[in-house]
Amino acid sequence: MSRRLWRLPPWTRAPWLGLRQPAAVAAVLVTSAILACAVASAPLFLSSARSAALQQQLAPQCAEAGWVQAGFGSQQLTQNGVATGQLASANLDEVLAGAWREQGRASSPVLATAQLVGRYRGPDGATVVAPSGEPVSIQLSLFSRPGATEHVQVVDQQPGEGIWLPAGYAQNSGIALGDTITVADRPVDVVGLYTDLFTVDPGAYWCDYRLLYANDTSSNTPPPALGIVPDPATFHRLAAGYTVVEQIAQVPLDADRLSLTDARAVRAEQERAQQRAFALADDGRTFSLTNQRLATAADRAQLIESGLRGPVIPVAVAGALLALLLVAAAGSFWADRRASEVRLLAARGVGPVPLAGKAALELGLPALAGAALGWAASRLLIAGLGPADDLDPAATSAAVWAGVAAFVVGLGAASVVAGLRARGTAERPLGATPRWPAQVPWELALLAAAAWCWALLEGRDAIVSTGGVAQVNGLLVAFPLLGIAGAAVLLARLVTALLPRLRGWAGRRAPAVFLAVNRLTAARLATATLLVAVALPVAVLGYTATLTASSQTTLDAKVGVQIGATRAVISVSRFQSTAAIDAVGTYVVRYDGSALAPSQDGGSGDRTDVQVLAVDPDDFAGTAFWDDSFADQPLAELLAALDGPEVDGRVPVVAAGLSAGDPDLWLGSQALPAQVVAEARVLPGRRSADPVVMVAADRVPDVPRSAGAGRMAEVWTDGSIGPAIDSLVAAGGVDSRELQPDQVQTNANFLGITWTFGYLSALAVFVGVIAIGGLLLYLEARSRTRVSGYVMARRLGLSRAAHLRSLVVELAGVAVAGLVLGAVLAAGAVAVVNRRLDVDRLRPPTPLLDVPWTAVAATVAGAVVVAGLAALYAQRAADRADPATVLRDDA
Amino acid sequence: MTGGFEGSGLVKRYRRGAETVSALAGVDLQVDAGEFVALVGPSGSGKSTLLALLCGWETADEGILSYHGALADRRPDTLGWPELALVPQALGLVADLNLGDNVLLPARLRGTLATEEPRARDLLADFGLDHLVDRYPAQASLGEQQRVAVARALLLRPAVLLADEPTAHQDRGHADRLLDAVTDAARAGSAVLIATHDELAWARADRVLSMRDGHLTDGAPS
Repeated sequence: MSRRLWRLPPWTRAPWLGLRQPAAVAAVLVTSAILACAVASAPLFLSSARSAALQQQLAPQCAEAGWVQAGFGSQQLTQNGVATGQLASANLDEVLAGAWREQGRASSPVLATAQLVGRYRGPDGATVVAPSGEPVSIQLSLFSRPGATEHVQVVDQQPGEGIWLPAGYAQNSGIALGDTITVADRPVDVVGLYTDLFTVDPGAYWCDYRLLYANDTSSNTPPPALGIVPDPATFHRLAAGYTVVEQIAQVPLDADRLSLTDARAVRAEQERAQQRAFALADDGRTFSLTNQRLATAADRAQLIESGLRGPVIPVAVAGALLALLLVAAAGSFWADRRASEVRLLAARGVGPVPLAGKAALELGLPALAGAALGWAASRLLIAGLGPADDLDPAATSAAVWAGVAAFVVGLGAASVVAGLRARGTAERPLGATPRWPAQVPWELALLAAAAWCWALLEGRDAIVSTGGVAQVNGLLVAFPLLGIAGAAVLLARLVTALLPRLRGWAGRRAPAVFLAVNRLTAARLATATLLVAVALPVAVLGYTATLTASSQTTLDAKVGVQIGATRAVISVSRFQSTAAIDAVGTYVVRYDGSALAPSQDGGSGDRTDVQVLAVDPDDFAGTAFWDDSFADQPLAELLAALDGPEVDGRVPVVAAGLSAGDPDLWLGSQALPAQVVAEARVLPGRRSADPVVMVAADRVPDVPRSAGAGRMAEVWTDGSIGPAIDSLVAAGGVDSRELQPDQVQTNANFLGITWTFGYLSALAVFVGVIAIGGLLLYLEARSRTRVSGYVMARRLGLSRAAHLRSLVVELAGVAVAGLVLGAVLAAGAVAVVNRRLDVDRLRPPTPLLDVPWTAVAATVAGAVVVAGLAALYAQRAADRADPATVLRDDA
Repeated sequence: MTGGFEGSGLVKRYRRGAETVSALAGVDLQVDAGEFVALVGPSGSGKSTLLALLCGWETADEGILSYHGALADRRPDTLGWPELALVPQALGLVADLNLGDNVLLPARLRGTLATEEPRARDLLADFGLDHLVDRYPAQASLGEQQRVAVARALLLRPAVLLADEPTAHQDRGHADRLLDAVTDAARAGSAVLIATHDELAWARADRVLSMRDGHLTDGAPS
């Protein structure tokens, strides 16, 4: 571009001239915002996922799991059962607090004669001598933490320094308030009595110290009684007689608001505080204590985020490329809107580069504003819809730079396209065929890339589990997205290639149809683009929503199959079913049995372990977890078959996983010849890899204990667990154990999968927004010819209603075609991928298919509504046109 | 169907900023069925405004406009294409229809497609457009588009034909063919009024009306 050209008004006044075209300004602003939003959302989403993963790792644990702790531990040697010295001290408490202060943190001490940090091995007890001089049979451990006596139910207390004892312990030991007792050979006054913590709900304050007082594992040796010593000096005086003493200083943190950066920073502070304290106080006999739960959670959160990167980054790039196309289309729209001026400039020899420069100058401000808006929108979207709103500062900076890059690249793309189109419009001969780039089926490259991803995926796991964290293989995301995109464009190309034939058909139809089809045919490229713009989000949304729903359904089914129903309570007790059990669910007796399957030569085959479920056919189906894919017959039919007659003394059974033939079942030493009357692929209540056999309970003979068969009585329920436990206990069951869904699901972390598909769904919605933006651009770009055609057609006899109908047919036609195309593509992608999306291959069933019909209906309704509104918008624009002006000025 | 029209004291004013412009300043005119009238005058003299008013796209601030014959007592904006056809300055071709369908659109909208197809073919052939019927307007020259607009206006043999510069983009040969067609329409009973700068059109017209600064006078400008 020559310097002289720059100084001419079309360029010097360009930034203000651009504002005279509100439609072009709005187009560039909105499309730039979409591009910036697409680019900036990726780092923000990953950061949000990191924070949420961290927070969700910590949430189920005690509050202190997210706190950082520094401390000292000491294990004192004893001679003849008597501790030889005192290592933990008030001085060390101050050292720890000072070390934290140097990090700018206020800490709070916790002292205990127990291992507080790391692998918990239970509290250390010492002998107590009652005032009577008799040693108490139950030992006593010590605990000191600010506010401890405020978090117990006080039975009695008196002023002064001393020890608080559990009331039950004191009563059984003949100790009263005000007594002086001896703890580890050191006298101390009893200044408080509190209700034993294991008899009440002690609250969150005691969550991390439960092993100090509760015997959750029903160990033969329960923990010692817990003496609370509010005064640290008294604690240290008494603790000197204990073998194990630990003292820590912990910094409270809000685990619900932690980002990974926060966690790492505070971890670094923790290490510095610990090193500082150790350097000041180590005498060679203490050892350093720092808790690792936050670090472990942070590492796991990082692992989850790493798993997300694979699928998220390609998805974000794909979204950004789509948005870039839209920005480029906005540049083309600018060229259309400024057609008169650019034609004039082009006619005077101005080339595409100066025209692109003019476009850049005119569109710069809106593009900048759009990029800023896009960045803000991405931030708001992540805050509102992201996994967590606690972002790493680095992610926010990365998002800002991404927004800047979106502005530069977007403006460049819009300007280049505007320049080329402006010049091309002026130079293009009438009736010229499309240029070769428009005729090359570029989408085949996408399909080839999809095939390549598929080939790579064939040799790899679609779902990988690293450290218990399930992650989606990036290829599993890339392959269907590339395939959907390529197929959508290819199919749109084929469909639009058929439009001329449709035109012939429309020639014999009503004017509304005739006009609609002709409009679609006349702008085949725009039609194809619009078709892809509708089909793509529908396909991606259908694909992701179906896979998300199917994954969740499969997970739920795995849990349901494992438990047998929504919940279960099990006991080794022997008891019969009662009306109360029947009211809450169904009664099942599980035997660890074996099966001797017949061999092919008619003799006895191998013996295999089987789980034999003795069920009540009358109410089993009402409670047991069941999916129709589990068997070819409904569960009710299978159960009815259990009531059939015995053949040759063989009891009818339904089997899953058993080899063919009628097996001889053995429940320990008790024989149970069986006839397989029906087979299922999966039966509820399968808790191991062993085959499962279901038999009517009243057909199972009494199996005495002497038979040696493992036996478990179970109450399965769809309701809450409480009534089930009550019914089991009322029937005579003791030592019951609950089976709840969250217990089954704790083995693996599926956040990575959930968020991957969540992000894909967000992308689909985002593409939908792009489609709507594209639709508006399409309407605006064609509004001049549409309006001019409309006002003349009105004069020719076209009614307003017929015109509106033609718009509806045109836009709804594309919407419906796009929906159908998208649905077909989504169904294809789901069919290929779903069978490989087994989040837990150890447990049946294999992946189930769950089509989210509500989402499908909402998508269809949304597309139709958008098409209808767009038609009304176009009609309104046409209605507002002044025929005299339109048909005078547009020549 | 035949019919003419008559205007008396037609006034049309526009606001242009603070200024009020009188596009028509008391125009009296009459065009009868079978008459071919040429309306001449410099650009901005009010020709297009008068045509817009006659076809119902504008309404007069003052004066009376009435149609005669079969069109008596009809408002211009209620007149259909067989009653009043026009060739606007901007042509008004439907961009999404090819040239053939553009010509046939009035018949299609009236449900007389089959009946009018032969005449459409004749008109297209007469105007040298028969090889271009499958092209879209954007793929045709301005002159070709203009001939399509005239063919469309003539298709249903309108009672009144209004045309704004129908030969502006034509070479002499095509202009003559267009004027022949317009003359034939008048001879067939149409009341024809064309705004034109084409002096040969003046010569072909039954009457010439001159317009300057919103005033209409009989005869060609000096």
